[in-house]
Amino acid sequence: MPKIDLTMDVNGRKVVKQSEPHKRLLDFLREDLNLTGTKEGCGAGECGTCSVFVDGKLVKSCLMPAAKADGAKIETIEGLARPGSLTPVQQAFHKTGASQCGYCIPGMVMAATSALRENPDAGIEEIKERLGGNICRCTGYTKIFEAVEIARDVIAGRLPETALDEDATGESFIGANVRRLDAPSKVSGRLKYAADMKMVDMLQMQVLRAPMPHARIVSIDTSEAEAMEGVACVITSADVPGTDGFGVFVHDQPVMARGKVRHFGEAVAAVAAEDLITARRALAKIKVEYEELPGVYAPEDALVDGAPVIHDYAQDNVIKHIPIRKGDIAKGFAEADLILEDEFRTQQVEHAYLEPEAGIAYVDHDDVVTVLSPSQNITHHRHMLAEILALPINKVRFIMSPVGGGFGGKEDMIYQGMLALAAMKTHRPVQLNFTREESLVASAKRHPSRVRYKMGLKWSGEITAIEFDMLSDGGAYGMSSEGVMRKAAILSCGPYEVHNLKVDTKVVYTNNTPSGAFRTFGGMQAQFATESMMDMAAEALDMDPFELRRINMMRIGSRTHTQQELTTASLDRVLDAAEEASRWEAGAPKVRGPRRNDLGGPDTRKPCTLGARIGEPTDTQTKDERVAS
Amino acid sequence: MNRKMRGRGMASSWYGIARTATIDRAGAWAELDDGGTAKIVTGVTEIGEGILTVLAQVAAEELGVRPEDVTIGDNDTSRSPEAAHAGATRQTYMIGNSVALASRDARAKLFAEIADHWDVPVDSLRAFNGELWAQDTNLRMSMDEAVKTCKGRGVVPVGSASFTAHGTGLDPVDGSGSPWQAYVFGTQIAEVEVDTWTGEVQVLGIWAAHDVGRAINPRGVEGQIEGGVVQGLGQALMEDYQTEKGYTTTHGFAKYILPTSLDIPQINCVIVEDPDPLSPLQAKGIGEPALVPTAPAIMNAIYDAIGVRIKSLPATPEKILDALRNHVPGREQIAQSARQDRAEAHRRGL
Ligand code: FES
Ligand code: FES
Repeated sequence: MPKIDLTMDVNGRKVVKQSEPHKRLLDFLREDLNLTGTKEGCGAGECGTCSVFVDGKLVKSCLMPAAKADGAKIETIEGLARPGSLTPVQQAFHKTGASQCGYCIPGMVMAATSALRENPDAGIEEIKERLGGNICRCTGYTKIFEAVEIARDVIAGRLPETALDEDATGESFIGANVRRLDAPSKVSGRLKYAADMKMVDMLQMQVLRAPMPHARIVSIDTSEAEAMEGVACVITSADVPGTDGFGVFVHDQPVMARGKVRHFGEAVAAVAAEDLITARRALAKIKVEYEELPGVYAPEDALVDGAPVIHDYAQDNVIKHIPIRKGDIAKGFAEADLILEDEFRTQQVEHAYLEPEAGIAYVDHDDVVTVLSPSQNITHHRHMLAEILALPINKVRFIMSPVGGGFGGKEDMIYQGMLALAAMKTHRPVQLNFTREESLVASAKRHPSRVRYKMGLKWSGEITAIEFDMLSDGGAYGMSSEGVMRKAAILSCGPYEVHNLKVDTKVVYTNNTPSGAFRTFGGMQAQFATESMMDMAAEALDMDPFELRRINMMRIGSRTHTQQELTTASLDRVLDAAEEASRWEAGAPKVRGPRRNDLGGPDTRKPCTLGARIGEPTDTQTKDERVAS
Repeated sequence: MNRKMRGRGMASSWYGIARTATIDRAGAWAELDDGGTAKIVTGVTEIGEGILTVLAQVAAEELGVRPEDVTIGDNDTSRSPEAAHAGATRQTYMIGNSVALASRDARAKLFAEIADHWDVPVDSLRAFNGELWAQDTNLRMSMDEAVKTCKGRGVVPVGSASFTAHGTGLDPVDGSGSPWQAYVFGTQIAEVEVDTWTGEVQVLGIWAAHDVGRAINPRGVEGQIEGGVVQGLGQALMEDYQTEKGYTTTHGFAKYILPTSLDIPQINCVIVEDPDPLSPLQAKGIGEPALVPTAPAIMNAIYDAIGVRIKSLPATPEKILDALRNHVPGREQIAQSARQDRAEAHRRGL
């Protein structure tokens, strides 16, 4: 491939380099200049993690061909401050705790810097608008806004520089707002995530993924790909030396599809090659013959007699059913003055951590197979990989690299096995970085759910019985499904003491993208249904929703749904705190929005219309000032 | 009806801390090091929640040094003790407590040597913020000197610990059991504005009160609440991963819509501390619980504003408009008063 000459001023230094013509500015910065503070979160202009300045303008470097930046002046996160120091914006991010996983943070710091350069007096609404192209999945943005406001005021001299200092500590470090120790490395782009690391002699991996949701694999022919120049190895399930299977509860998922594929995007084979382009080209040379199978795409259909079977071991397609029984629901419903029945549904949700899956594997000098990746459970991964590779457990080593957001989505060992196999086959380090599209099709999601709910209450508000039936779509593999159903069942009927209940949670296999662990592990799906029912009951009983909850809440000595006696319980205090903080106006939830007097307080934001904020008269009050005034 | 309608809704929640329906465990090693610094080795690294800072605070408090003097090793199955997974709202509870116990173990080694050196009772010794002293005396030295003295007497002040949380499995028939030893509770209120022409919902305020046991780092707790609320808001109003006969149709962030800075309500956090009696730190956790009540609070608020109840997430503009189109104002109320009348009649034996 002919190279092109590029000349740029990068962070104040002249750079002259030959590079490949296909490279984006992002690739050029990360690969050719090792400026890995600029991240690739999506590669499609949607997330802002790749933000840099080109001739002073904020640009998403994943959208700009490197050749187009020829001759330009580039500023990256690494160039904002001298090494060892931080700009006021970076210091403010450090002070307020605006960085969590940190993966969005270099881009966010660039966008914030740009906002304040464009308008040093920008009000909070304008700041929000100017950060609108940058996604953060961790922080809820609130501490980021606070940081930008402080930085703005320090730069403008409205606040002293000491406003950027750490809060003082009193008599104890427990309960103190100690600044995050990892923040300087994140706000400066110095922290290396797995995709930012390079090892000498490292190969790049690419994965061939299933083009259909359910099919038998008739044959795989990798010979042509293997023969390609620059290809170091091709791996399939045939390369697995040990017991092929992983999963948090059942080990039902092979490292790569074995005999059949069960969901669209499942890994079928992988190539390790000298560079990414060669690895991608080699994928096209792998010939897989599929025989398409009828699939199951709705959990209800999975339970029908004669439904296609997805895993041989589970002929009924059921991954797990968790029952909970307490008291006597027939008696409880007979005692009820009011019985409400309804159905609730939740959707499949993506974790959308900004850092796509990435990892490196190598075999070390002592023959230890080592995998470095942002895994949320290296202890369990080590056990499973040792079985898969048929190695003693101390010959498998997992290193947890900084995690650019997890939320449960990085608990599944969906790619580490492939990396290990390729490293063992080639005895070279191998790296795999997912694209955003790959991450979306291959990683687990939050379980979609359907809950059928029946609740009996007395006029006094006391709940007499609950029947709760949840059906969830587990998708193609078991992953964390069993645990998710257990937690959903245990928490199902909410923080209320219910004497008579019947709870069933069930999860089934389908040919959809697998569901797995996701922050709350089934707790939110279940309690969404319960809390909706509680408000509907409060309306029917003409009762304030806080009151109804207080009547039924768990207290010290209450027995939970699983009949555990509570020795502590704080819902009473929490309800009081929330009611007071929100200045809640008591009343039954009977569509009283139009008549309420507690709306629009200083602890709310103004509603907005897109685009209306820039150029609004400046309001440089900070959040605390607004609340205080 | 006005075009823009406002309302409020609330929801409560509960959650268990650490791994579910099983015994949970985590290990850590601690060393008081030269210069009055400290090394903590345990199998975790940051997933963004701030655990390294929390552990440094815990170690500093227990060892008498400063958080910035604490070096924490990264998670590595061949180099650090087992701490297991970074999830289940278990990091502060499991690893925090094991670091506290390991630090106490190391401190006890140091204190024994210094007590002997000064000839004072061990329980008169205190250490904080890089200084060590014997109460009711003038005896005082820096932690730097203390470590030197200890090592001069031939002892390296190291410690280790394992912390256990005692959960039990569930009975396979009636599900009875004690899945966790610590529970937290929460309540959130949402204030929304619904545009009845476009179906768009804006969340203007969230009040989030959560019991965390004990807040090791209040700002960090707020960060977890704010992040959880916004993920809950995303699920409530916009996020939807879709497949069509198994084929993904939401391939990227252009199709999979996430909350941005423009969607963020003012989030008002209230931290409630109901200390955990079963663990040395008395802290519980907040990572997951913060997300639980957000979506139902928003749905209850939408109902309060416009009288339609969304029972299937997310409450997209299309769904809201559809529900409004089929909406008979007051229908729910009419149905309920009819229900009430029937029940009343039934009770009077009519
Ligand atoms: S916007 Fe460039 S990587 Fe997401
Ligand atoms: S800190 Fe923003 S994505 Fe994690």
